[in-house]
Amino acid sequence: MRLTLIALAPLAGFLLNGLLGQRLGKTFVSVVGCALPLAAFALTLAAVVELESRGAPIVEVVYTWAVIGGVEFEIAFYFDRLTAVMALVVTGVGSLIHIYSTGYMHEDRSYARYFAYLNLFLFFMLVLVLGRSLLVKFVGWEGVGLASYLLIGFWFQDEDKAAAGKKAFIVNRIGDAGFLLGMFLLYTLTGTLDVDRINAAFAEPTPQMLALASTAGVLLFIGACGKSAQIPLHVWLPDAMAGPTPVSALIHAATMVTAGVYLVARLSGLYDSAPAASAVVAGVGVATALLAATIAVVQTDIKKVLAYSTVSQLGLMFVAAGVGAYAVAIFHVVTHAFFKACLFLGAGSVIHALSGEQDVRKMGGLARRIPITFVTFAVATAAIAGIPPLAGFYSKDAILWYSFASSAGGSTVLWALASATALLTSFYMFRLLWLTFFGRSRMSAEVEHHVHESPLSMTGVLAPLALLSAIGGFIAVPQFLGAQWPLPAILEARAPFYWPLIGLAVAIGFGGLALAAFFYAGDGARAARVQERFGALHRLLSAKYYVDEFYERTLHQPLLWLSDRVFLGLGDRRLLDGSLDGLAAFAVRVAGQLGRIQTGNLQLYLLLAMIGLVGALAWGLRHV
Amino acid sequence: MDRLQLLLLLSFAMFTLGMVGLAIRRDLLVVLMCLELALNGVLLSLVVFAQQADIAAGAVLVFLVFVVAAAEIAIAIPIVLLMVRHKRTLDVGAFSDLRG
Amino acid sequence: MNALLAELDTLLLYLFAVGAAGGSVLMIVLRAPMHVATALISTMVFLGGIYGLLGVHFIAAFQVLIYVGAVMVFMVYVIMLLEVRAVARSPFSRLLLPGAAIGALLMMLLALLLWHGGRSAAALPGSDQIFTVEAFARIFLSEYWLHFELTSLLLLAAAVAAIAVIKAPHPGEDHHG
Repeated sequence: MRLTLIALAPLAGFLLNGLLGQRLGKTFVSVVGCALPLAAFALTLAAVVELESRGAPIVEVVYTWAVIGGVEFEIAFYFDRLTAVMALVVTGVGSLIHIYSTGYMHEDRSYARYFAYLNLFLFFMLVLVLGRSLLVKFVGWEGVGLASYLLIGFWFQDEDKAAAGKKAFIVNRIGDAGFLLGMFLLYTLTGTLDVDRINAAFAEPTPQMLALASTAGVLLFIGACGKSAQIPLHVWLPDAMAGPTPVSALIHAATMVTAGVYLVARLSGLYDSAPAASAVVAGVGVATALLAATIAVVQTDIKKVLAYSTVSQLGLMFVAAGVGAYAVAIFHVVTHAFFKACLFLGAGSVIHALSGEQDVRKMGGLARRIPITFVTFAVATAAIAGIPPLAGFYSKDAILWYSFASSAGGSTVLWALASATALLTSFYMFRLLWLTFFGRSRMSAEVEHHVHESPLSMTGVLAPLALLSAIGGFIAVPQFLGAQWPLPAILEARAPFYWPLIGLAVAIGFGGLALAAFFYAGDGARAARVQERFGALHRLLSAKYYVDEFYERTLHQPLLWLSDRVFLGLGDRRLLDGSLDGLAAFAVRVAGQLGRIQTGNLQLYLLLAMIGLVGALAWGLRHV
Repeated sequence: MDRLQLLLLLSFAMFTLGMVGLAIRRDLLVVLMCLELALNGVLLSLVVFAQQADIAAGAVLVFLVFVVAAAEIAIAIPIVLLMVRHKRTLDVGAFSDLRG
Repeated sequence: MNALLAELDTLLLYLFAVGAAGGSVLMIVLRAPMHVATALISTMVFLGGIYGLLGVHFIAAFQVLIYVGAVMVFMVYVIMLLEVRAVARSPFSRLLLPGAAIGALLMMLLALLLWHGGRSAAALPGSDQIFTVEAFARIFLSEYWLHFELTSLLLLAAAVAAIAVIKAPHPGEDHHG
């Protein structure tokens, strides 16, 4: 029962806040909205204890959903170490963000609705994580997409924000098509949708399974691309920053977007048997990582930088998963959750302090004004840049090592691209830190006057997250998962490069810091000059490689044309309306024609009567 | 052709001619007279059948029809007179107020 | 002798039948209403003759008395009253052709019915089997006395209605009580 309760606790929060919240006031909403996720966290901890004491995964069957042709589809929850790690992150970081939201969203009119949606998201995320069969996971998959849509477009009165929500949902849907197809294929291959059974089946695969494993892997990865914002379905994540900042922290940094990585790790058995699919995963991952990092370098909105950073980091996670180091990918998920959430919430704190300003060109000199925010933000920045001994260093370095040396797909090219990404990451994150907190103030006088530190509900969350970003690397996730997800073997020839590569990674981290300081310290004149020199490149990057415009031209316009001209114009108006109108017009015409009989002329009527008489007689004659 | 057939044929012919005349003549009074012709045709067949069946009620019925015909013409003529006075013509085509 | 008389009867019957038919045809062909009235009168007289040959002498008398003497005279009065002049236009309405066609069709059908329809085999009485007025009166005033009374009622209603129709106010005239 415990696993079900973990999922149901936030659902209860959704129902209570959604139905009664508006009426019962902010205190009620806050208490319910935060207590239930915390309860879920506590239950998850208890489940971990039970898991360890039992030594085997916990399976809970809730009920049988359907029996089709003798095959049973159940709603069941499955709890092993991987699930434990994900669930702890989801409920733990989730609870912290809920508490943060009580401060951030305090002035908002739709306070109850916000917490209702946030709890709803948590429920679906837990269903996704805990589900045993891909079908149940898909329910959670769709549900988090729905919650994401609701929360991105939370201030739906603004057209652009609502459009961003729609974009997220629609792009997700495209990925979901891949997920569904992959699910169907897997069912055909293995006869089951339960993830543990699928992995067991692929431990001893038949030739048929091997032949189609990569296809299934790629299809599922398309779904993961949609959810985790990889190329070509990455376009929704930057737009999703239209939602409230805690939402960006929870959904688009810590939990929902990592669902794709979780999926790949969950089906490790499949991907181990599908080298082609794994190669695709790693390739797309590293390409996305590099691309997003280049775009992040020129972004001027504080949240957009973090958004592209998330896309980039997710790419790195997929690189790890693509070379067989699933545990390392999950390790990075955990550390990323810590420092990215801290970064986003810190950004929220900055925005809150500056009364809504999000453009870094209008910030500066905030280090002394909002010290707590500054310190936590700086710690998280150092973590993501890979400065030892902070969390990010351990997980990112592991990724870089396995991208180089894994016997299941590691290559120099992969490592080089990933390292370039790491350098860019360090650079743009420290750039962000400098532009926001250092230098002379570029704020307007009005804004500068109101700068204030955030309330305790917000800073009280930033602190633990910063702490976790600092020491999180010592949580030995790969070792914890090592039993079931052994790290791939190291290529013999590459083993000696271990320590040199670590040194290089550290150098990259500090190198980025140095570069950022070089360009942006003082008045940032050097940066401005570079921008002028490489004007065309800067334009290309600012325009995000024109991907959105490309989609607009090739997909959006034709679809719009098709819907408007063909379906609306022809199908709906001509065919449906036309046929109905045509029938009506026909009836009117026939009636008009028939009406011509009534001329008022008596002789005509008589003639018609005679015709009838003749007819009757003729008919009577047949029976004579 | 025996007598019965002849007379019945005559009766049918008179009736048909009366109906046709009703339909094709343009003068209102002529139309009325064609109506009388049709009635007479029917009356002939009534007499023939009554005599064939040899029931006395047949003759009574014929007499009653005479009376009704007389009454009918007594009403019809004044109505025609009124209609003609209203429309100032005897053309049947003019009386189409019930059009539609 | 009787055979000769019977022959005469049949001859006269045919004669009268042809006459009646001819009169009918003339009726619908002639132009002037007066001529049409005359044709109708002749038809009716022939019809009366036929009734006589069938043995119902008093019905024949009634035919001439009522139909010719009352109805047709009334018609002739009205024709003369309305001073109908010969019109240049055709006496036939637009429906001449359809009407004629339908009429022909109807006639053919009825003739077919006559030839193929079943009827009783009883014979028609001749002119010598007379249905006397006495017999008629006896029946009319005993068995069908109600009908007799009703006819008087009907005639009264007709008279009243005729007067009412004439006296009805029409547009363009003062209304006298």
